[in-house]
Amino acid sequence: MSESDGFEDFHWMFDMLHHIDVGLVVLNANYEVHLWNSFMENHSGISSSIAKGQALLSLFPDIDPNWFNQKLDNVLKLKTPIFVSWEQHPNTFPFKSYRPITGIADKMYQNVMIRPVSSPDGTIKQLCLVVYDVTDIAVNKMALSTANSRLQRLASAISK
Amino acid sequence: MTTRVLICDDSKVARKQLSRILPTDWDVEVEFAENGQEALDVMSSSRFDILFLDLNMPVKDGYETLEALKSFEESPKVIVVSGDVQPQAVARVKEMGAIAFQKKPATADDLRESLIALGLFSEGQKATQTAPEVVTAAEQFTLNEGLQEISNVAMGRAASVLANMLNVFVKLPVPKVNVLEVGELQMALDHSVKDESCSAVSRGFVGSGIAFEALLIFNDSSFPDMAKLLGVAEEINRTVETELLMDASSILVGPFMEAFGRQLNIDFSHGHPVVLGQHVKIKDLINAKKALWKRTLAVEIVYEVENYDIHCDLLLLFTEESVPTLENLLSFLVEDE
Repeated sequence: MSESDGFEDFHWMFDMLHHIDVGLVVLNANYEVHLWNSFMENHSGISSSIAKGQALLSLFPDIDPNWFNQKLDNVLKLKTPIFVSWEQHPNTFPFKSYRPITGIADKMYQNVMIRPVSSPDGTIKQLCLVVYDVTDIAVNKMALSTANSRLQRLASAISK
Repeated sequence: MTTRVLICDDSKVARKQLSRILPTDWDVEVEFAENGQEALDVMSSSRFDILFLDLNMPVKDGYETLEALKSFEESPKVIVVSGDVQPQAVARVKEMGAIAFQKKPATADDLRESLIALGLFSEGQKATQTAPEVVTAAEQFTLNEGLQEISNVAMGRAASVLANMLNVFVKLPVPKVNVLEVGELQMALDHSVKDESCSAVSRGFVGSGIAFEALLIFNDSSFPDMAKLLGVAEEINRTVETELLMDASSILVGPFMEAFGRQLNIDFSHGHPVVLGQHVKIKDLINAKKALWKRTLAVEIVYEVENYDIHCDLLLLFTEESVPTLENLLSFLVEDE
């Protein structure tokens, strides 16, 4: 493969990762931002040039550092992905809902996956965060369970 | 001899932009009109050499103005300046007597070249004179005008993509910009969709502190013709309708947002389009009781396709928090390049 091919490959891959509608963050072992894609830029309002090199937690002071660092430590130590579901932690990152007008959620509900990134020599020196917008799923599930419990109350009132 | 120029555009931003990019070494006297009727009135009382004419305007649009000019004994040379870059729009205005078509927003170099090519201006005609117009605080445009103008340009680009792809002519209105409360939004929608049932798709956009939704609403009576246009021969059932709705949203909203974002210099993130409802009443689309917002800055564009029964409403609904950022970004539009 020629050098120009390499550049082209890098270009389309970067374009894809940058514009994919999923948040992507790569952190080094000090938990400083190494990659910050456009989803993260646009939803947080923090541009990539500002985010790079900063500690992730300094960008989001409202995230509980003990809770979050524990997760990151575990990923590095266990070399295994760890998941944060919207059901345990609805809004890990303080982003707003994608559809502020017709949606009924104010905030963006997120599933976050934290996974180890292997370097060419096989060691783990970086972590990757993948942030999924699950607002629609969350809102629907909550509406469903509210409706269910209402039905249950009704049913038990009738059977009495 | 001083060339007398009349700039006719309903947008103050556009009038200003154009007057600023006229060659500075051109010996001109510039006057302005806000719509075709005003331009005709001015022209009937005094003679002009060149008329820069916008197409989408209230009261009397560019086409009607060109039509009316035919009865003038001494009509000026008309250069159409428009965001509507559909090939048919260009062909139509030339047929109606315009000598040139200038894509909006034009740069000083574009305009200079085109004026030279048309023989209306030659280099070094006159020693550099002061800019024809000096911006004073009182003349500063408002957020609404800026937003209207960039929507206008974006709408023209989107229509052109559509026109090329489907070989149709899209009728473009003047975008309406309003600040609406929840109830008012419903009323505005009711008004444009009337009593018919409708179907709608929404897509969220966010970037650089600006968040909005692009809501596309179709009258349900548009589906048979949409199917015809998009080459769908199957019988129209719910699945086909959903497919048409999603396709139309991609085709209409995509190029619009691309042109819109480019003018603001923002690479927006956008979510997956969501079907808000099919065959519903407009009031069911937006849940006024559960709405978490109070006011929204709304840009409304009504698309109609000539010779087809297709009527759709594109609404850009900005959050209140986005307004200051938007204002700031738009203020750069009229600054020098």
